[in-house]
Amino acid sequence: MPARHLIIGAGTAGLNAIRTIREEDGGASEITLVAAERPYSRMVLPYYLDRSIAESHVFTATAATLANWKVKTHIGKKAASLNAQGNTLTLDDGATIEYDDCLVATGSRAIRPSIPGADLPGVHSFWTLEQAREVIAGIAPGSHVVMVGAGFIAFTILNSILSLGAKLTIVEIAPRILPRMVDERGALLVDAWLRKHGVRILTGVALTRIEAARGKRRLRFRKGETLLADLVIMATGIKPNLDWLEGSGIRMNHGILVDDHLRSSAPNVYAGGDVAEGKDGVTGAPVVHAIEPTAMEHGRVVGANMAGRDVAYRGSLNMNIVEVCRLDVASFGAWDDPNAEAFTGLRPERSAYRKLCWSGDRLTGAIIIGQAADVWTTNDVGMLKGLVHAGVRLGAWKEHLRRHPFDVKPAFIASRTTEALLPQTILGRPSRTPELPATVIR
Amino acid sequence: MKVLKIVPQKCTGCLRCELACSYMQTGSFQPAKSVIRVSPYEGHTSYAPYTCTQCAEGWCMTACPVGAITITPAGAKDVVDDRCVGCKLCTIACPYGTIFYDPDTHKAFKCNLCGGAPACAEACPTAAIVYEEAETCDWLADFAVERSTRLLAVGGP
Repeated sequence: MPARHLIIGAGTAGLNAIRTIREEDGGASEITLVAAERPYSRMVLPYYLDRSIAESHVFTATAATLANWKVKTHIGKKAASLNAQGNTLTLDDGATIEYDDCLVATGSRAIRPSIPGADLPGVHSFWTLEQAREVIAGIAPGSHVVMVGAGFIAFTILNSILSLGAKLTIVEIAPRILPRMVDERGALLVDAWLRKHGVRILTGVALTRIEAARGKRRLRFRKGETLLADLVIMATGIKPNLDWLEGSGIRMNHGILVDDHLRSSAPNVYAGGDVAEGKDGVTGAPVVHAIEPTAMEHGRVVGANMAGRDVAYRGSLNMNIVEVCRLDVASFGAWDDPNAEAFTGLRPERSAYRKLCWSGDRLTGAIIIGQAADVWTTNDVGMLKGLVHAGVRLGAWKEHLRRHPFDVKPAFIASRTTEALLPQTILGRPSRTPELPATVIR
Repeated sequence: MKVLKIVPQKCTGCLRCELACSYMQTGSFQPAKSVIRVSPYEGHTSYAPYTCTQCAEGWCMTACPVGAITITPAGAKDVVDDRCVGCKLCTIACPYGTIFYDPDTHKAFKCNLCGGAPACAEACPTAAIVYEEAETCDWLADFAVERSTRLLAVGGP
């Protein structure tokens, strides 16, 4: 009897697992997909918001693609409970599905602070496609948008809001913006850049309530003035969807604890993406990296293992990049390790900043900020990722980078980083072109 | 497959490859839009071009959330403009720094081997860039090590 694989979640991890199983087995196994929503990419929703792409562009698989991959689907259904001993999943409509192995990839949801008015009409999250549609319907040229939260998610839609002709105010409870993506000096640079580009930023302000005010929303804070908004976006964090696994016996901490094959405490139950707490490639410690590249790599490794391969995952690299008003802001690895030796470089006239964090002569983390029009910024983003990822020893180049933190390329090349990277593949074989549905490509 | 083999000892720093590349890729002679980049060594006494190796993992391709990077018949990873939304994930996924981003078009771009007839190799007058059947490898490391000893000793570019 062919293996019966069950994929729970049609986000990045789930879809990559399905694609990889089919790359490996050519259709021999049974695959069942349970997903609350149609498969689409959250990563591209900001470009749907600013109307640079049509809604059809966000879908990562259509019914026809899934049929072509011979996937049985339960779309619009939620996983309700897992019986890990009995190898069955119960759906919210009471149906049960038997499996030989399964992948839990139920992702995250946006959360809001529990303050009065957080659920008023005109107060939105921007996480799902449905929420994106609501925000699109609510923004018009000249609208005043108040974004609550100044983290990565908020910043991914900043350009879109401005390009729609809206006025934007960002309010953040922390004393500075991007607290989990860049250090304080980097944040100051980005803050100044945004103010110069017409974004109003209020940091260190605690939102206490939101009230309806004649078709608008009034935001009240612990101290200071109130704000009147046409539309409020709550970018106040995300939380992994794990509640439904309570009582399953699956071991969880911040996420589902997984080994280097992405197996949970139940060996035939894998976890991937935002719900998985797996190895950090730099520190080796278990961590939830709720980012797209980790979900993609988790999904592919799980898919290969489900298909009978024996693929160990090297661990995920924390990384983020966002462009705001043509300024690139990126960070990698252990950029916030307070004990790491760190070199910094600042070129205020070019709004450029670098931070390089070290363990001995190996780079363990980096922050890079620079104008998107600077070719070097983009090239260095990649090379710094390569240096952190490969962990090559930089020897005398470390001293060079202390003096010249912007001169990354010769250090990258002369440290034989390319040689170290070339044999590396996630699945132990060359990657294949992602098969996309014809309807989506068109 | 045929790859761009780099012989850095032969590079004179004439930048013809950058001109040819940018013309082929964008229709204008604009080295800033070239996806092969020549770097100086030893205080501009020697040079070497650097570009995508079309690596086996294809970090850019697997990272793309909308499948906008595919493998061409020539074996190059190539950005499909109509699919690319400009999210820049490929720029942080590529560990070689060989993905580029055009702020005017909001698209990523990279070496696509010009569909199997790379303009850089054709333009190179000294055969420092040749397009031939070979296993891709780290073409520059030995050269870069040798040509940077003095830089590291004196501590400045």
